[in-house]
Amino acid sequence: MSKIRCSHCHLEYDESILIEDDGLYFCCKGCQGIYHLLKSEGLDDFYEKLGSNTIAPPKEIKESLEKFDKEAFFKKYVSITKEGFCSISLVIDGIYCSACIWLNEKVLHKTDGIVEVSINHTNNKAKIVWDNDTIKLSSIIEVIRNIGYNAYPYDASMQEVQANAKRRDYYSRLLVGIFCTMNIMWIAIAQYGGYFTGMRDDIKDILNFAAFILSSPALFYTGGVFFKGAYYGLKNRFVNMDLLVISGALSAYIFSIYSMFSGHGETYFESVAMIITFVFAGKYLEVLTKKRVVDTLDSFSSSIPNEVLVVNEQEKIFKSIESVEAGDIIEIKAGERVAIDGIIVSGEGSFDNSSLSGESEPVYLKAGDKVLSGGILLDSVVRYEATCAYKDSTLHKIVSLLEDAMDKKPHIQKVADEISGHFSSIILLFSVLTFFGWYYYTNSFEQALVVAISVIVIACPCALGLATPVATLVGLSRAIKRGVLFKEASLLESIAKCNTVVLDKTGTLTYGKPSVVKVFLKKEIDLSLIYSLVSLSTHPISRGVKEYLSKQKPTLYELKGIKVIEAKGIKAYYAGKKIVLGNRAFLSDEGVSFSEDLDQMSVLHIAIDGSYCGAFYLEDSLREGADQTVKWLKLKGLRVIMLSGDNRAVVQKIAKRLEIEEYHDSMLPEQKAKFIKKLRSNSRRVVMVGDGINDTLALSNSEVAITLGSGTDVALSVSDVVLLEESFDGLKDAFLVSYRTYGNIKQNLAISLLYNVITIPLAMAGYVIPLIAALSMSLSSLLVVGNSMRIK
Amino acid sequence: MDNWLVVMMLSASTLLGALGLWALLWGLKTGQFDDPKKFLDGALLDSEEALQDAIEMENRKKELKKKKEKSYSPPD
Repeated sequence: MSKIRCSHCHLEYDESILIEDDGLYFCCKGCQGIYHLLKSEGLDDFYEKLGSNTIAPPKEIKESLEKFDKEAFFKKYVSITKEGFCSISLVIDGIYCSACIWLNEKVLHKTDGIVEVSINHTNNKAKIVWDNDTIKLSSIIEVIRNIGYNAYPYDASMQEVQANAKRRDYYSRLLVGIFCTMNIMWIAIAQYGGYFTGMRDDIKDILNFAAFILSSPALFYTGGVFFKGAYYGLKNRFVNMDLLVISGALSAYIFSIYSMFSGHGETYFESVAMIITFVFAGKYLEVLTKKRVVDTLDSFSSSIPNEVLVVNEQEKIFKSIESVEAGDIIEIKAGERVAIDGIIVSGEGSFDNSSLSGESEPVYLKAGDKVLSGGILLDSVVRYEATCAYKDSTLHKIVSLLEDAMDKKPHIQKVADEISGHFSSIILLFSVLTFFGWYYYTNSFEQALVVAISVIVIACPCALGLATPVATLVGLSRAIKRGVLFKEASLLESIAKCNTVVLDKTGTLTYGKPSVVKVFLKKEIDLSLIYSLVSLSTHPISRGVKEYLSKQKPTLYELKGIKVIEAKGIKAYYAGKKIVLGNRAFLSDEGVSFSEDLDQMSVLHIAIDGSYCGAFYLEDSLREGADQTVKWLKLKGLRVIMLSGDNRAVVQKIAKRLEIEEYHDSMLPEQKAKFIKKLRSNSRRVVMVGDGINDTLALSNSEVAITLGSGTDVALSVSDVVLLEESFDGLKDAFLVSYRTYGNIKQNLAISLLYNVITIPLAMAGYVIPLIAALSMSLSSLLVVGNSMRIK
Repeated sequence: MDNWLVVMMLSASTLLGALGLWALLWGLKTGQFDDPKKFLDGALLDSEEALQDAIEMENRKKELKKKKEKSYSPPD
């Protein structure tokens, strides 16, 4: 069969399955509709711009547009501009190339009532300004959907903007600092020359003044954050690094101004600029890593609905979730997310709890059953009675849990801060003692001050301060190249110190998606028929069978009388034959009885015209690289434990294959969390690897939480490390990079400590002038940076 | 070397450098570097038509603004 490209999405398909339309070919009705729409609107330039690129065929979007016009939605996402127009930030889904952006912009430009459109080509975020009297937001979203894309709102006023603003502010400060330092160094070179060969006083004054002009913005603009930090530190009675940096830089600055005007002694403006810029560069690196954490939290909070439909005495009203009380009857439709816990009073349906439990199979719930917030109703309409207010519901608890976790500082960082606090106090004390000592013996204020400044400058925490961040930054970038994302730099250290690894089974060690492992057919049947039927269902088992059959290149038949019964099975008619696929109960409902069955496996039975034909047996498969990684972890002397909510037989089988001696089955989320707590109380340092919400509690209780990139949003937000690739090798890489980085940090600390131990006494003895102190300080920083680059 | 020469050279070079720095900071502040892809795409997508669209949109904005002002009646 020949392959032909779809005229809209440009993907290649077999000729037989394409829809022919006047010499054009389309892979689906969606592509066909969009093609004609663009043509009639005169937008067919799009295909020229698309060139040989391909895009995804449009997805059918079931989510209703109503919510975009609701008041609560408006309040949350829409802002009013000065001119009285509405403005919203959207993320546009389905953009693959610049032609897609062109098309979206063009279509929105043509829409009446829209006054401003700007789409960011790099991250596909769009800002739209419109006149609400001319067009409603739902119509704008509809326009975007009509051309095969989808748009989600995001709250741009939240943390993302703040984080971006902070990053930008720090970047500007850093640029100013670098500019001043670079220029001041040219002047300093002339001054150094004059120091050895002699220089006329008037030239010296000019150079001093230029250096003074250049060092001022570095100290007060770039160093502004240190002033602030030192102020807050003092306010809370805490001596921090910031204070040390400021006292060193400021005293050198003031002394330089004094010597510039009095003509006594040397000026040290270049030291001021250098101290500030070097230390600030380290601080800037910290801000960079923080931004990533904010990104994940944003994606989670946007999935919570902000309004629910409350039914009271035959009247339906929308209430914001915060105002719903226990006892209210709430109605939800297919595709909606449950916002508040409750008990079903009428209706029945399948709920996708995958974002809560990590289990891929939908749960079938009927009147009297309990629904949990966070689940999504897949079919029908269900009314349920709220059993609590939003603030007590599962979903809200998880969100607040997350926010708490974000605020918590890792233990190691606290210790590091404390040590540097002590270090700063001691150095300040040393310099004060040095000043009085020298003043007492030499009776020269100037000399005493110069030596005291030298002590502060030479001990300036550069090397000590850079030891950790530079090594971790190098480690982080090496890790990202291997597909491992650390949310915080200090985690590299934490992982290296851990001695126990706890692994979740479903979705972590295994893919969490069943695939066909055995086929049993009683008689010859047309497998294309089965393929056509399973294509109709989104159930994981159907998907597993579909994936298996699609390798045999089946054809799609047109079926009649299709009936999909969620969580049970599918039936349909083809050429007068009745085909039934489903579980044992469903087939016996249809009057088919049989004896075959296999424990520990998911099964899809087949019956045609009332007679049993066979079954597909499915099993969850082991993740790629899982066995080697587990072996490697054990080789490194780590204690490996497997936890699972599954039954004993399944867990035992996997444990045997992976040679894990320690495993626990049938564990509930709380039990997993307790288990981790117990391990930690026995002074074990625990790394937990998991994926679903069922692991979230355990993850947040562990020392370091690692999730796979395919995990649920909540698990991703609570985790410290994300493995971006599907394979399990990422876990090994995470440990490897951590070990190397931690080793490097220790070397760096040793270098800077040794440096301080040698230089501080020298400075106190007066052998080092501030100029040499600043130079040697830079040298020690270079040593530390150079050593960090060796991490592979 | 005359003093004024040193002063002039120092101040001219520093000023020029500061000018460049100011331009860079201005670009940062106004978001000129937020969307690197837009510059590349601009070469592909910019055309007379795009300008036309932008003007049309400006006009539409003005019209709607006028309409808004007209329909607005201050409270008594």
